[in-house]
Amino acid sequence: MTCEHLAPFYEEYALGVLEGKERAELEEHLARACPKCTPGVAKARWLIVQLTLAAPEAHASAELKGRIMDAVKGSAGAAGPSRAVPSLKNQRPPVESSMFPAWAWVAAAALALITGYTIRQMNNQNAQLTQLRKQMKQATMQNQALENQLEMDHMVAMVMMSPDSMPLKLMPKDKAMPMVHAYLHPHMGVAITADQMPSMSAEHTLQLWFVPKSGKPMSVAIFHPDAAGQIALVAPVNMPRNEIAALAVTEEPAGGSPQPTTPVAWMAAVN
Amino acid sequence: MLLAVVQPWPEGKQPTDAALMERILQRDSGALEALYDRYGRPVYSLVLRISQHPSSAEEIVQDVFLQLWRSADRYQIARGPLEPWLFTMARNRALDFLRLKREKQRRREDTDSDILPAAVICPDPEGDIDRSRRAEKVRALMISLPDAQRRAIELAFFEGMSHSEIASAMGEALGTVKSWIRGGLLRLRESLGEASS
Repeated sequence: MTCEHLAPFYEEYALGVLEGKERAELEEHLARACPKCTPGVAKARWLIVQLTLAAPEAHASAELKGRIMDAVKGSAGAAGPSRAVPSLKNQRPPVESSMFPAWAWVAAAALALITGYTIRQMNNQNAQLTQLRKQMKQATMQNQALENQLEMDHMVAMVMMSPDSMPLKLMPKDKAMPMVHAYLHPHMGVAITADQMPSMSAEHTLQLWFVPKSGKPMSVAIFHPDAAGQIALVAPVNMPRNEIAALAVTEEPAGGSPQPTTPVAWMAAVN
Repeated sequence: MLLAVVQPWPEGKQPTDAALMERILQRDSGALEALYDRYGRPVYSLVLRISQHPSSAEEIVQDVFLQLWRSADRYQIARGPLEPWLFTMARNRALDFLRLKREKQRRREDTDSDILPAAVICPDPEGDIDRSRRAEKVRALMISLPDAQRRAIELAFFEGMSHSEIASAMGEALGTVKSWIRGGLLRLRESLGEASS
């Protein structure tokens, strides 16, 4: 996906709700420090964090501050302003190096070697840990995408099997294209399924429209066939069924259009 | 160990967040106290809203401020202003607690991403409206939203749910939840001014 296609998702990503393909694509852009998406998401984070201020104002106990300050003062290195640390010029002069015996220098050198070795080992372990975390994150994302798809398939099946759903066949204008099936349910939404769809570039998308008996078409959903050329989705019904004259699908630029900009590619009349 | 001289604050001047962080680097506990006075209340309010448990909320807030003390050297002003950084760290900690409580997920380890939230760009640092005015605008916006839309945004921000989790929790279609959240965020952006766009 292009940055332009991902831009509308920056805030949903920062909020933590974004899932599936869009999330994976955006994380890929962020992982390679995309010059457009990285600042875009950073700005979105500022907006999202403002929701903090929607929390009802509450007051912690008076003891909390004392506990924090006690913990801090108990930790090494704390210096309160009331007990300013003396400046370096007041410190004792350094001890003459000649006061150290030879064995102490040998011990110090051995310690330095061991420390160096330990740091190197730790760096290696950290690198391995980072790699494992990356793999785990990738697996989690794949798992999430599968769960989403499973949930969507379940919803599609529910709409398809409901006796209240009206089955429709969206016929292609291009005879070489497969037929698209729709199941219009008054409450659960409209389920769209298709197989053997040709692949599409990331610059384009398919857009489903409700064509009303009077007035302009209303956008219902934007979708792409998956890698296997299948479509399975459920979109909400935002128009009473008796006002819908037809369902239509057009090919639009990525991100969809407010109104169709290309001829209808699939269509079905709703009786 | 290099020891530093800690100077008192100039009288009548409120130190900036960045100046206080510099002081914390010099192990000035008074600077942490000043940051607690500045941010303790909104941080506690946020954490309590998420955790719904006052004593746990206090533990989380304590943890957040101690983390700030311990990891001050890892905070970089270039990553953005302190306020969103601190709020994000508090939200992450509180959501960890919530997830642990629900036994949905093991508590995350103290990774860098926990300690250092991702970079935030304040849209207009010079003209940034003060926190109390921002709070008024955000609360007014949330009150003005339809109940279901407000609930969807609250589940996302305060309970860390994804689109599909919210749809499932609310018994609504995924597309409906997505459009509620997107619409709500659009209004939030408008409410806080075009500066954030």
